[in-house]
Amino acid sequence: MSDPLDALEHSISTLRRAIRDASAAGDSERAGELRAQLRRAERAWDALIDTGEPAPAPPPRTVPDTPPAAFGSQLPAREHVHRALMLLGTPAAPKLIVGVHEAFFPGELSASKLSSLRRDEARSYQSSPGARPYYLCSALAHDLLTPVRALLTISTWPLEQRIIGPLSPRVDFLTGAIRIAEAVHAAETSAGGEPSAAALRLLWRFAANIPEAMPSRTPERESVLDTQQVIDAARAELAVHLDADHAVRSEASRRARALDEAQQLFGAPPQNVTPLRARA
Amino acid sequence: MKPPVDGRLDALRGSSPRLSYNARSLAALENNPRCTLRALLDASGSDKAAIAAHIGYPSPFGQSSFAFARGNAFEAMVKDNGCAELLRVLRETLKLTLPEVAYLDLNEVGGAGDNDARHRRTTEVLLEAARGNGEGTLFDHPLLHLQVGGEGAFLEPDLVAFRIDGRFYIVEIKSFPIIDGQADPAQVRAATTQASAYIIALRALLAHHGMDTGAVSDTIVLVAPKDFTNRPTAAFVDARKQVAALTRQLSRIERVSDLVDLLPEDLTFDLDLDLTLPKKEQRPRRPAEELAAAVARVPATYRPDCLNHCEMAFHCRAHARAEASLDVLGPAVREQLGGIDTATMALGLARGQLTPTGDQSDMAAALRHAARLRDELTEAYGGAA
Repeated sequence: MSDPLDALEHSISTLRRAIRDASAAGDSERAGELRAQLRRAERAWDALIDTGEPAPAPPPRTVPDTPPAAFGSQLPAREHVHRALMLLGTPAAPKLIVGVHEAFFPGELSASKLSSLRRDEARSYQSSPGARPYYLCSALAHDLLTPVRALLTISTWPLEQRIIGPLSPRVDFLTGAIRIAEAVHAAETSAGGEPSAAALRLLWRFAANIPEAMPSRTPERESVLDTQQVIDAARAELAVHLDADHAVRSEASRRARALDEAQQLFGAPPQNVTPLRARA
Repeated sequence: MKPPVDGRLDALRGSSPRLSYNARSLAALENNPRCTLRALLDASGSDKAAIAAHIGYPSPFGQSSFAFARGNAFEAMVKDNGCAELLRVLRETLKLTLPEVAYLDLNEVGGAGDNDARHRRTTEVLLEAARGNGEGTLFDHPLLHLQVGGEGAFLEPDLVAFRIDGRFYIVEIKSFPIIDGQADPAQVRAATTQASAYIIALRALLAHHGMDTGAVSDTIVLVAPKDFTNRPTAAFVDARKQVAALTRQLSRIERVSDLVDLLPEDLTFDLDLDLTLPKKEQRPRRPAEELAAAVARVPATYRPDCLNHCEMAFHCRAHARAEASLDVLGPAVREQLGGIDTATMALGLARGQLTPTGDQSDMAAALRHAARLRDELTEAYGGAA
């Protein structure tokens, strides 16, 4: 299926058939969801016919023939990403977003869906600024205020939270570790039961790289991660970096406020090198 | 600024786009510095693989795309989440202190990825760090510059780590495993050669700005998967010997202009590609025989280990074989038979069919002795050998 139009037409006809089946079965909730998907696909088809450009949103690939697994599993990718980022509370790369999503939320989210997300969001913002309650946007480099490679943030966060200084990757890593440990802890203590294996694996990957966060291994018993120990260890290291990082971030965010609104969200254009020259 | 030799080199390359030195061609330089053909092809930025393929000696291998993807995936994993894994291993090996976590991404400058801008930015931040008022500890993919035979080459280490006590360490991330503290010596050697070029380039940068080159450590940090896992571990590798060897070869490298002066005026390795076509459809239009003749006019120094790093190796081996040159047998045999160039001459002397010149007489006696021993053995065992 080389032509995107062919692909869209195929998925439109598949969707129509699925809607007919769902209505026949009396499943109105599912039919509603499928209709929303159909409308998206048709809009993409229209856009493609009009402009000859690739569709802004990829068409739903296949129609799942199983009923929706759980609430929220049918959300568009940007909602999934928003939820994962809100849990982390820090700018994150697609791989980590997918990791957090798989650990704590239902539904499918693949890294390939995230690759064009930022561009789509920027395009949507440009066509009607402020029309959406939030945008997924860039993290800003502390010196040039240009978009940082790969990292995604949410437009509703304060600017400071979206600035990346030299210490910020580590600070964000430690902050993320605390948030993930808290989420795992919440899952442990909730009535529903246990954190998923993916969540524990994610926490382990974070804890392994924080000093003193891993439980001491004793020969008698297999070590089990202690969420409180991870939180304490991450806070201890965080205390070392936090002040210096905060100073850089707030200084940069003051400069960033001089940018226009779109640039505050999606970063200054690359040729803007004056701040660096001024510092050197 | 541009000497006329640039014009000659451009003419040698012809219409194809210029390729710059990379870790592979620098390894070739370190391993076989005396080869004129390699020096000219590399200096002119010619596409060795395409030339070799066109004259009938395509390299049947290349870098495996799987190995390449594996290497990139491992590097990405090590650097994920603010270099979390890398910081852990560097805290263990380099004894980085807790506050030393500052990370600067030099893969691009504010969205722009062009080499000059990246090199300028690299210079800026590394010099700041060397002066002691920078903010970086980890420098991701800095872009260094090295002069090779009068031509500039951009080099890109995986990472440079800067210690508070004022030392730079080149960190090389490789995907071959370190098992029980041991790794494949050939792989380690290749990684060290590559890192040596980075050390030299980084020292050149400091020296150029009047700073102490001793700030760049001779020891590289090799980060590789531990045992049979995917988790990284790090080891120090002493690169002193290879840094010294490569420095010596870089200073001795015959000035490319001297080599160019010896060439006939009309010589070119142009493939005559149709550049209007998309890259994949470009086919060399120059007759293969003509190109082969042009390549054959330049002397090559073949060694068996050229097969590891030079795309022209199969061409050179075929020529060395055709001339019955002792090069095919490798440096060990060559050194044993000092003063004798071809297998024909060695056999002739051994069988007493040739009269040795004055300085060949010792070697001739040794060869005749060896031939006698061999004859006795083959007779004794009934010609079984």
